[in-house]
Amino acid sequence: MIDVIASEWLKLRSLRSNLYLLACSVAAVGACAGIAFMIGRGFDNQTADERLAFPTNGDGIGNGIAVAYFVFAVLGALTITSEYSTKMIQTSLVAVPRRQVLLLAKVPGLAAVTLVAGQVLAFAMHAASMAVLGDRAGQLLRGGVTLGTSLSQPGVLTSMIAAGLSMAAVALIGLGVGAAVRSTPGALVVLTVIIVVLPVVAKTLPMPLRAQAGSFMIENLPLQIAGVGGGNLPPALAAGLLFGYVAAALTAGATVIAPAGRRIKALAIGAAVAVVVPAVPVAASPGAGPSALAWADCADQDLVKEMRCASITVPLNWAEPSGRKIELTVGLLPTTGAQRRIGTVFAIPGGPGGSGVAALSTSAGSFAELRARFDVVSVEPRNTIDKGVLPYDCLVSGPWITWPDTRAEFVELGRRNRAAAERCRAADPEFFDHMDSASVARDMEAIRAALGEEQLSFVANSYGGRPGIDYSRLFPGRVRAMVFDGSVDPWADRAQGRLAHEEAFTRFAAWCAADTACALHGQDVGEVWRALVARADRDPVPVRGALPRIAYSGFDIKEAAAPSVIQPGSAPEYPRWRQLADAIARAAGGDASGFADYVRQSTKSLKVPSFIGMNMTHCLDGLGFRDYEEYRDKRREGERLLPNLAGTELWHSLGCVGWPVPATNPPAPLPAKRLPPYLGVGSLTDFGNSAGIVRHVPGSGAIQYQGNGHGLYNSGNSCIIAHVNRYLTSLSLPPAGAVCRPAGP
Amino acid sequence: MIEVRALTMRYGRTVVVDDLTFTVEPGLVTGFLGPNGAGKSTTMRAVLGLESPAAGEALVGGRAYVSLRRPLRTMGALLDAGAVHGGRSARAHLAWLARSNGIGAGRVAAVLEQVGLAGVADRRIGGFSLGMKQRLGIAAALLGDPAALMLDEPLNGLDPEGIRWLRHLLRTLAGEGRTVLLSSHLMNELALTADHVLIIGRGRLIAGTAMDALAGYFQGDVLVRTPHPERLTSVLRGHGATVTARDDGALSVRDLAAAEIGALALAAGITLAELSPRGASLEEAFMRLTGDSTEYRTAQEAAQ
Repeated sequence: MIDVIASEWLKLRSLRSNLYLLACSVAAVGACAGIAFMIGRGFDNQTADERLAFPTNGDGIGNGIAVAYFVFAVLGALTITSEYSTKMIQTSLVAVPRRQVLLLAKVPGLAAVTLVAGQVLAFAMHAASMAVLGDRAGQLLRGGVTLGTSLSQPGVLTSMIAAGLSMAAVALIGLGVGAAVRSTPGALVVLTVIIVVLPVVAKTLPMPLRAQAGSFMIENLPLQIAGVGGGNLPPALAAGLLFGYVAAALTAGATVIAPAGRRIKALAIGAAVAVVVPAVPVAASPGAGPSALAWADCADQDLVKEMRCASITVPLNWAEPSGRKIELTVGLLPTTGAQRRIGTVFAIPGGPGGSGVAALSTSAGSFAELRARFDVVSVEPRNTIDKGVLPYDCLVSGPWITWPDTRAEFVELGRRNRAAAERCRAADPEFFDHMDSASVARDMEAIRAALGEEQLSFVANSYGGRPGIDYSRLFPGRVRAMVFDGSVDPWADRAQGRLAHEEAFTRFAAWCAADTACALHGQDVGEVWRALVARADRDPVPVRGALPRIAYSGFDIKEAAAPSVIQPGSAPEYPRWRQLADAIARAAGGDASGFADYVRQSTKSLKVPSFIGMNMTHCLDGLGFRDYEEYRDKRREGERLLPNLAGTELWHSLGCVGWPVPATNPPAPLPAKRLPPYLGVGSLTDFGNSAGIVRHVPGSGAIQYQGNGHGLYNSGNSCIIAHVNRYLTSLSLPPAGAVCRPAGP
Repeated sequence: MIEVRALTMRYGRTVVVDDLTFTVEPGLVTGFLGPNGAGKSTTMRAVLGLESPAAGEALVGGRAYVSLRRPLRTMGALLDAGAVHGGRSARAHLAWLARSNGIGAGRVAAVLEQVGLAGVADRRIGGFSLGMKQRLGIAAALLGDPAALMLDEPLNGLDPEGIRWLRHLLRTLAGEGRTVLLSSHLMNELALTADHVLIIGRGRLIAGTAMDALAGYFQGDVLVRTPHPERLTSVLRGHGATVTARDDGALSVRDLAAAEIGALALAAGITLAELSPRGASLEEAFMRLTGDSTEYRTAQEAAQ
């Protein structure tokens, strides 16, 4: 056999035409460079946000791989068809009468040449693409990958090597087809169909058939082998398939070349190898277990139409699993099937009290790219205020909060809070008492189990961070990845956490100084503001024309202004800053109606109410004060650190004063060592909290959007979506100090 | 030794070789003679395992060719001088062949020298004449220094010098005790080369005999014209000749060479008008043997 292999090597080497043919494969490098050039040109003509939505050029090989495959396939085919066309096959068979030996002896030499040439070509194609893209290659896209993926990125080197390998495989497929067809033109036709026609046909199919068929195309196997895209097959299966294709082609060749009578045996052995090798990883891969949830169309007609809904029954009190049950609605945006499914992302809704299903529907566009690799689920959590167990109208509002100056005022606040809470609680006290985030986290674990997933990945939006933290604490082994987007750090000092709001106020003042559209232009905004607040605390500013007659304290004004300070609206008009400046100017003139108008629009209340629906979770999660002394110390700390907005940081805590239910789920430490690295994201005003949370988990990363906003992923911030998607798909974190900048005007 | 036993070959429903049995002995040059389509090439392909027999078997040195691990060392074969890739040099062609049977590179140079292609060894085969390709094919057959050689129409395309060279070569190889089988559809080609001849037609063995015997059996006559046919007849018969009078008055004399006839006539004082030995008789013999087994004949030939 060694002699025959060596002889076939001499045959291959002694034909100069083979060398010329290999040289033709350089055309593949040209194709890659040319298409990369076009992509670069198109990219440059786009706005920053449009650029983020660009499809990736990946490692750049895909654009030219069909050319490379064709050349290698022809080389492989000619290795045997040229023997038939010249009749040299007769001479070969006289020298080597064992026919399969003759055919298989061609494999090592051909494989060796094409392996080396394939690797060189793959890397040359990659280098050409990357060189043409230049700096643009590093642009991270919404899909979570860069425009051009460099070798330093996970899986890229593997996919390059696999691509080189696939070229060798294609050469062997060419050999097999050549042996089976025994004619050069015939082999060319068959190979053109396999390499060019089938992939093109697959691309014309409707989804999800397109993705399924595309996954089986040779050109898409290298990426799938590396697990970085290309289709929806697991790496082992993709590798097995590549081997299986080679085995199948060589089997066809060996069957045809076999002497009559021995063909069945050759076919049987070859077919067995070609089928068994790819089948082994299929059988071995566990995959997600069957989902126990019965997905159906959602009852809510307002949801996006691809949303599927199911209900799950969980114990109301997780300490008594066999006790009273409640039903939760789970929403699913299924994976598109374009890529191999990694798993399920759980979008934890904020609030507390928001419906994750509705939020997921609203922000479905944000999850579009992620759904190439993930199912995305969310839930209408137990504390959803419109769940119907407790009266909605009661939960959606609550008492007005004051900033107690004395112990007596503190007690009086508690009395009012308790009275308001008890009005809502009376409808179902048992239900009201189990609205803590740990129970929400346990509900999420029940959903994980029902989905049949080993682990879940999470995007926790805003207060959703708290159930996320509780889940991490209770089920650390079930967390594959977790993103905190504008979440509150439960371990941080609250005043410290509001320093960013003070900075926002400074920016507001700076804007006022620079923009004549500001009603306070030309004045020292800080001085005007602090004077207004101080005067209103002594002597509340009436709201003209309001019935019943009300007046705003300094605390009321701060609470009403805070959302406008941190969310000024889009540059350069900053409508809410403009509105705020007007309101301040009017209030300074003795009329607080500028604040009241805004509050009424957004809350249907004359002052900012404390929402019972939120508090029933907040207070159980330990947001309240232990006692008056704790409140007093916290207030002093706030007044020291927050010259303009002191007190706003205590708003939710003040809502828990006098709460009828004890804090059952106070913040507790994370089992940091048992958790994977997390990612924190946030805007100018909420980044500090997200970053603070993930500092508790070693190896975590964070990225700030240097603009305004809250709930950046859900609201469609492309740069944040890009970083989050990269983290969720490849678990790679943004480099330290990375930031997202708002698009310029 | 090449043995063919009860070999039957079919192409579809057509029987090409029909229950053929023969043995090619070492030490002799054996001619394999038959008209086009008689089954010579098919038989040879069967010996090499290129075709599977419907029945019977063909053995080389007692074994099936396909079972030989390094067959070129046992038997060299030339089926079709054109069965080469024109893109390779003669040396490269022989090099891969040699390597496939574990034959040292030294043999490549040796056989190139032996067939007279050393000077063009590095030229592409595509530029070779038919004769040069024949020599290359013979070089390939000799590569493994085999005990048996089987050549299909090796004289095709060779110039007279080449034919003489090959005859000498084959006789030498046979003289070394090797088995040599060469096919031809032309009796003349074999007459001076072969020691033994196998004649087939329509896939069947018609005769297997020593070349001498074949020539003797169908030996030609000597045509003699003389004004005194009766006297000459009695003289020649007196020396053991068989004499037949022809219609045109000439005598057909057998069993006596022309020179002897001339000498006897001179001694008897008989004038000879013509003395013509007629030597095409091997061809005639062949034609006569294979006449009704020729596969392809023109309508005119068939009508005769």
